[in-house]
Amino acid sequence: MTDTPFCGYDGDREEALIACLYDDGTNVPERALFEAHLFVCARCRDELAGLRGVRSQLARWAPPEPALDTIRNPPPAIRNPQAATSWWRQLPAWAQVAAALLFLGVSAAIANLDVRYDASGLHVRTGWMQAGAAAPIEGAPADSGTRALVSTGGGTPWRAELAALEQQLRTEMRSVRTAAAQSTAARASSPASDADVIKRVRALVDESEKRQQRELALRVAEVIRDVATQRQADLVKIDRTLGVVQNNLGVEVLRDRQRLDILYRASQRQ
Amino acid sequence: MPWTDEELVAKSISGDADSFNELVLRWERPIYALAYRTIGREEDARDVCQETFLRAFRALPGFRGQAKFSSWLYRIALNLCRDWVRRERRTPVVQPPEDVDLIEMAAAAEPSESIEDLVARKDLSRLVERAMALLPEEQRTAIVLKEYHGLTFQEIAELVGCPLSTVKTRLYQGLTVLRRELAKNHKAQL
Repeated sequence: MTDTPFCGYDGDREEALIACLYDDGTNVPERALFEAHLFVCARCRDELAGLRGVRSQLARWAPPEPALDTIRNPPPAIRNPQAATSWWRQLPAWAQVAAALLFLGVSAAIANLDVRYDASGLHVRTGWMQAGAAAPIEGAPADSGTRALVSTGGGTPWRAELAALEQQLRTEMRSVRTAAAQSTAARASSPASDADVIKRVRALVDESEKRQQRELALRVAEVIRDVATQRQADLVKIDRTLGVVQNNLGVEVLRDRQRLDILYRASQRQ
Repeated sequence: MPWTDEELVAKSISGDADSFNELVLRWERPIYALAYRTIGREEDARDVCQETFLRAFRALPGFRGQAKFSSWLYRIALNLCRDWVRRERRTPVVQPPEDVDLIEMAAAAEPSESIEDLVARKDLSRLVERAMALLPEEQRTAIVLKEYHGLTFQEIAELVGCPLSTVKTRLYQGLTVLRRELAKNHKAQL
């Protein structure tokens, strides 16, 4: 059986204890009632005192000092999420298509692509091959360098279309260059310059290093304390063991002496 | 006369970046402390704190002032802490750099405080921290919000979305467990 005194409080005892403990101004009548009850109830008084003790111990728990610089000055991508996306993603779709076409055009130029269309059909070959190696597409490919893109027997004016395509590509190349130049200028004028980013990254790295050093120092301090305690314990243990060994040795020596003494006496009698 | 939170929020929404910075300066410590006491790891608490302000910044245009700004911020932080607790992330142990003399560093860490004092101070805090870690998340959150952030029972009830009486019950149960655990630790130390 428990020897806890009986509590005859009518209301919700737990709620009343908490309300009394924190007193945030709510439910004043009930609180007054419970305070009156406290005068006659030792159990509630003890519990309230215990809970107050817990509160005072809780006050000892302080979080470590935060490195708030990294919270205040997050990297530019966090400060301005809009800036996190690459500049080229902000280009309009037509510009991205133009860039893709430009890429194809440049690839074709690098490959020195030669497209011919004459009476014998469409010929496509790379410029790295000998001129004589080209073969009409109608038949099997003459060599591995030749690629059949389109096979047609009609009289479509491909040259004119290709010229128009080339012209279009050149126009789009110019517009893409202009857009890229504008974008670069905008980046250069924005506050989040490279130097700023590097500065912030350095600050972050420095902060991280300091934090690691603090943590290490603390751990080392703990290790040193543990080692010192363990060393002391080991020394005591060694001391005790040595004492036991010495004791045993003394006993052995004494016995040996006694044996020798007996032997000596026996030999004297004979 | 300093601006109120709500005024700063209104200015931030209309594009004044400095106003949001002012809000960050005003609330970063409470939010960090809340995160640290909930999840117990400095590094992760800083991440949660930063993420809280980032989310708040993104969601600011949608903030209509139904609740106080601080309550709204606390709710974001608590949700992030809850996510963290569910994931039960563990950070790797810090490895000392090759060229660092640990003994020298320990000696230089805090010259005014002896190693024993340093450890004793940390031990006191750790006892409470360990006891708090034993509590269920709901009880721990209620205690942290009440004890360290001074929120009213009503504000806690609204923040965590439960009746007022439940908040008080959680507080009572949590404090009772803490009382028992701290007393146990105290006896063990004697």
